Amino acid sequence: MQSFAIHPFSTPGTVSDLRAQVRRIVSECEAGWDAADRANSWSVADPAFSARLGDEGLVGMIWPKRYGGHDRDPLERYIVLEELLAAGAPVGAHWIADRQTGPLLLRYGTEEQREKYLPGMAAGKTYACIGLSEPGAGSDLAGVKTTARKTDTGWVINGQKVWTTGAHIAHAILALVRTEPGSERQAGLSQLLVDMDTPGITVRPIINLAGQHDFNEIFFEDVEVPHGALVGGEGNGWKQVTAELALERSGPERYLSSFALLRYLIAEQGGDPAVQPLIGRLTAELWTLRQMSMSTAAKLAGGEDPAVEAAIVKDLGNSYEQDVPLAIQAVLTADFDTRSDSDLARTLSLLLQTAPSFSLRGGTREILRGIIARGLGLR
Amino acid sequence: MSENRSLLCDTATAVLREAADMHSLEEAGFATLLIAEADGGFGGDWGDVFAVLRIAGYEGSDLDIAGLILDPVAGDSMEKGAFAKVCLAAGALDRILEMAIDYVNTREQFGRPLARFQAVQQSLAILAVEAAAVNSAGAGAALALDHGDATFEIAAAKLRTNQAIGVGTAIAHQAHGAIGFTREYPLHPFTRRLNQWRTDNGNDRYWSEKLGAAVVALGTDGLWEEITRRSDRSAG
Repeated sequence: MQSFAIHPFSTPGTVSDLRAQVRRIVSECEAGWDAADRANSWSVADPAFSARLGDEGLVGMIWPKRYGGHDRDPLERYIVLEELLAAGAPVGAHWIADRQTGPLLLRYGTEEQREKYLPGMAAGKTYACIGLSEPGAGSDLAGVKTTARKTDTGWVINGQKVWTTGAHIAHAILALVRTEPGSERQAGLSQLLVDMDTPGITVRPIINLAGQHDFNEIFFEDVEVPHGALVGGEGNGWKQVTAELALERSGPERYLSSFALLRYLIAEQGGDPAVQPLIGRLTAELWTLRQMSMSTAAKLAGGEDPAVEAAIVKDLGNSYEQDVPLAIQAVLTADFDTRSDSDLARTLSLLLQTAPSFSLRGGTREILRGIIARGLGLR
Repeated sequence: MSENRSLLCDTATAVLREAADMHSLEEAGFATLLIAEADGGFGGDWGDVFAVLRIAGYEGSDLDIAGLILDPVAGDSMEKGAFAKVCLAAGALDRILEMAIDYVNTREQFGRPLARFQAVQQSLAILAVEAAAVNSAGAGAALALDHGDATFEIAAAKLRTNQAIGVGTAIAHQAHGAIGFTREYPLHPFTRRLNQWRTDNGNDRYWSEKLGAAVVALGTDGLWEEITRRSDRSAG
């Protein structure tokens, strides 16, 4: 058996131009970026930066031109993403629309939905959020209780979503709801695309332990949407969401989101001979994860579903990103002041607090390992 | 996988399962794997070397096929040896993963196969992830070797392999229980070799000091530039 089939990443001929373009944009915009924010980059929303990337043709890159996209190769998009993440650029505003919602609309959406949303998304100006988790449906997503009742004119939604990243800045939510009354578990679920300014929607912030506002809870009270809000097939929601999760789990953000911390360690403590072996080890792990992530991206680009590979990369990437701050904390000299204003100190302090979330968001470690175990033929 | 590579792998599997001595390996032509076709060799690339040595690790062959393939080609012997250990370990880790899966699917305790226990599933998932990391590292180092200098990639791949061996062999033994600790049961030929390869051609200290110093010498923004510059060598 082979634990991980390698899919060769055919580096696009445009790679030099793409890297140069992103590095130029970063150098022009980075003056105001906070060091700690750089270690949290796809959670930091900067609408002006997202619009700039849209102007540069770097959002919705692989979507058709008629929807505002750029018909680029998925591996060209991968290059752009890893450059943005390695630089710690604030890509949070458009991230979900570009990664998940746009591709899902291209696959399952109606012509009307594509024309309405995709051009704004590709411009880096229309943002989306994903309504999956509910108070009673976390890892066990099939426990979704939010309902959409079909009427002559459309759907009436009632229920609650929680842990919804970016709901406070999003223009639309793609919500998984129960459209078949009395249905259970994976059956009878559908996806509805709902404008966030629709009457009856209330968004409340949930502040995380580090004082940041990333996620929210959303209440739906008799929210009326037209029949045209249905994305894909009625009752096909579970299948669509599962396909979407491979997009969510396979990207370079699962190992590069806190790359800034390693950069600051090299800059501030690289001269310490006791720190250098740790830099070597963290580099070896980072380089290996990149090989795995690129292979997974190549498989996805080839039209195959890398669900197990994506789970492997996300699990290992999460463990790596949780280990980095702890290992750095352990190796610094006793007189290093973690409360100081240095880039390393501030980034380290933040990541020591936020790292537990890495193996929770986008699928918990236990769920991912369950997916891997099933792929191995266990259980 | 190319048709040539696939044929090569079939041959390697057959010969390594049957071969009693180095002579049969030589007859099969492995000594010329990396020699150009124009010079009468097989004209293979480093991806072929990875594939063949991975099979040697998987089959548990004691024959020095790595030396047979790598001795005739130029290059730093420490690096060549480290690359060989990465490839062998990739195959051996996949083999002990396979053995552990078979064992827990068969062995019953508390009235059900061990594979039904979540604790066992989660533990084997970690072994699979570690084996996947080594397979990816080996393939990545092979690609770099095809483009010339691969000092960086070999250092990273060997270091990552050393880590995976420590974690992976422990999980394979834990899954097998006492039977895996017997001389009779065929797990130890793989785990003991893996542990030896963890020492050979550079342990963690050796490669982490070397790679760490090289990364620091690149400067603050040098690491990312270097990683991307090196992989972009394969751009078409």
